[in-house]
Amino acid sequence: MPGSAWTEDERLRRAFLEEGDELVQKLGESLSALEADPGSHDLVHEVFRLTHSLKSESALMGHASLSGLAHAMEDVLESVRGGELALAADVLEKLVAGADRLALMMGEISRGERDADSDPSDVVQDLRALIGSRRGTGDEATDGPPARGNGAGPHGGAAEGVAPAEPVFGAQEVSRLAEARERGESLFRVTVTVATDEPMKFARAFLVFNNFEQSANVIRAIPAMDGEPADDASYARTVFYLTSAPDDETLRAAARVDQIAMVETARLEFPSAGSIGRPLQEHYRADAGPIASDRGRGPGPAGPPVEKTTIRVDARRLDDLWRFVAELVLHKSHVSRLSDGVARGMDADSIREELMVSSDSLEKISSGMQQAMRDTRSIPISIIFSKFPRLVRDLSRKLGKPVDLVMSGQETEIDRSIVEALSDPLTHIIRNALDHGLEFPEERVRLGKPERGRIAVSARRQGGTIVIELADDGRGLDTERIRQKAIDLGIPDAASLGEADLRELVFRPGFSTKEVVTDLSGRGVGMDVVATRIRNDLRGTVELASETGKGTRVVLRLPFTLTIVNSLLVEDGGHLYAIPLGDLDSTSKVSAGDIVLQEQGEAGPWMEELIPLYSIGGLLGGERTPREEYFAVVLRHGASRGLLVVEELIEEREMVIRPIDDLLNTRRLFSGVSVLDDGRLVFILDTSFIRRDNF
Amino acid sequence: MGATILIADDLSFMRMIQKEILMERGYTVVGEASDGIEAVNKFQTLNPDLILLDITMPNMNGLEAMRRIFSINPKARVIMCSALGQQNLIVEAIRAGVKDFIVKPFKPERILSAIEKALKAS
Repeated sequence: MPGSAWTEDERLRRAFLEEGDELVQKLGESLSALEADPGSHDLVHEVFRLTHSLKSESALMGHASLSGLAHAMEDVLESVRGGELALAADVLEKLVAGADRLALMMGEISRGERDADSDPSDVVQDLRALIGSRRGTGDEATDGPPARGNGAGPHGGAAEGVAPAEPVFGAQEVSRLAEARERGESLFRVTVTVATDEPMKFARAFLVFNNFEQSANVIRAIPAMDGEPADDASYARTVFYLTSAPDDETLRAAARVDQIAMVETARLEFPSAGSIGRPLQEHYRADAGPIASDRGRGPGPAGPPVEKTTIRVDARRLDDLWRFVAELVLHKSHVSRLSDGVARGMDADSIREELMVSSDSLEKISSGMQQAMRDTRSIPISIIFSKFPRLVRDLSRKLGKPVDLVMSGQETEIDRSIVEALSDPLTHIIRNALDHGLEFPEERVRLGKPERGRIAVSARRQGGTIVIELADDGRGLDTERIRQKAIDLGIPDAASLGEADLRELVFRPGFSTKEVVTDLSGRGVGMDVVATRIRNDLRGTVELASETGKGTRVVLRLPFTLTIVNSLLVEDGGHLYAIPLGDLDSTSKVSAGDIVLQEQGEAGPWMEELIPLYSIGGLLGGERTPREEYFAVVLRHGASRGLLVVEELIEEREMVIRPIDDLLNTRRLFSGVSVLDDGRLVFILDTSFIRRDNF
Repeated sequence: MGATILIADDLSFMRMIQKEILMERGYTVVGEASDGIEAVNKFQTLNPDLILLDITMPNMNGLEAMRRIFSINPKARVIMCSALGQQNLIVEAIRAGVKDFIVKPFKPERILSAIEKALKAS
């Protein structure tokens, strides 16, 4: 539909996308749960509630087809709740199809595609068919697009006088008015007067406002209703400008709450057409960030996708943070006073003493802030896990393998920064387990296993590490087949490799081929990608455990956050480098005489064997600085080990990683930079350069 | 028989006052609860036409109880009872769907008109 408000109001659009995403996701979860337990009234209510919210929100945003679909689902659910319709399998299926389509449409909207592109009328028809012609006459326009009070405009002004002058509507309000007119609504001014003896006038007026939001479209309230209320007494009389169905009886009903002494309604003309339809993007530039310059009303992309650019944070966590900021400000002024004192010739002893106190406090504040910020940035892993029931159900159906999914530890918190990078690998592992790990039911029965397969996903926190386990009870890895494949591929020493090394082979790129995949219980597909993501991008580890015939278990260990990493600081050639402790096996010394030149490059001794040896100079395209003896750091990357020789080992410390510019990192040797307190730059080493050809 | 009402307040004399006012007008007080958990449980089992819910209660406060009640029945008629100075809580309750609120100390006509209007509204 042309003229939707959301193209103009980026702020509202973001809020809608964020909330809509959440609603769609929860809807999926609740429907899955409902499938498992179709008799649960609670779940029916929950699904109803979610669909209702989606309906209202999308109606407000002008996504008519999305709201129409949600409405159709809501009607079906209403019939179920009323006992007119049994929640049979086909009904559930149609609801699930509806939810799927809603998710699809939300995705399109967030990518800036108009929802007109995916017409849900087929799904809507299916849903309507379920309840026949009994229902479905509900009118979207009046059925509750709850307007967010936008609160623009000055307070007061119009509230006094016999015939109040109408306010000048802002651009966004004008566009919402235009929309309402298109829907055939009328514009009303409703003046609500609260009884004089009512103590909480704002709350009383807000109750009316809230009621209006259920049945009308509040364009403006004077005084404004959102944000911090003005002086309570000023809400003794509140003027609402709103659009609604031409019949104003619903409005009167909405305003008919206790302790409202008087309600006056007046029908107004819409503002002149001349002010409608001019470019509107100016208004929200300030809080919406960059907006494409050409955002007319025509079809076409509505700007870049805005996914997850805002976050929800528990207010208590912000309070914690605020507490630290307050203390910080306090100590800052203390330090300033000290520095004044130095200038004035304060005696050295008192300065030293006070400085120590301040330094001590600042350290506490800083670690407290770090913790508080970390809490603020964290989010339960359920945001990823919640997708799995659907994934498993869909795949299980497609493949004809009945599966029970067991999840635990969904409340485990992870840092927001890793959510995105973690989601794909986990999905991949589950997909693999279903596709290749689990046997078909007939085979399972033949093997004496339960007919239904089982996939268990769990997460837990272990110190600063998040441990995620994904286990299936399928056929497990056939290490002998892997060995055979390794021999065929000419991997050195394949014939004598141990179990662990053989399993590690699965993570090698190009190791898996189609036929190996299907034959080898399929642990090959994309496992190298999983390993790269987990080990390089997320600085974690991934291990496979498996027992032939019994199943496979993938264990991921991830650092809680990526932005602060415990590292070993080393120096070489006058520059500082940091090696994340997770990539560090040990440190040792190597004398020049022990370094040997091999086919692939230099190698040095480590635990009775020779492993590749690197130097910073060499890695940067130059030479290893000749020296008699070197400090060496034993690096690890997966099962590979490598020696890095450096001039000095300095110390272990926490580094705050900042992104590094690609121009400085053409060899992809570093994963980021950090700045020391004295201003020196530290390059964080990315150890994935270690050759994988050694075991 | 009048509409059925559940009263939830941690203070027994408050419940008594409310009960008397309601019964005099012909309403049926189907149950009383002294904390939020009990309120939710009794709401579920008694399915009253309306619940008078005190905002500050032990174990589970009125707001949380209200949320649970709405998840049991999104169309539940809930009237919040609050003390002065709980404006923010009331606004939160309204946002979550409360039908009306009464500010303590209770005046009989205030309670009755709020109930009447809430029952009439839907």
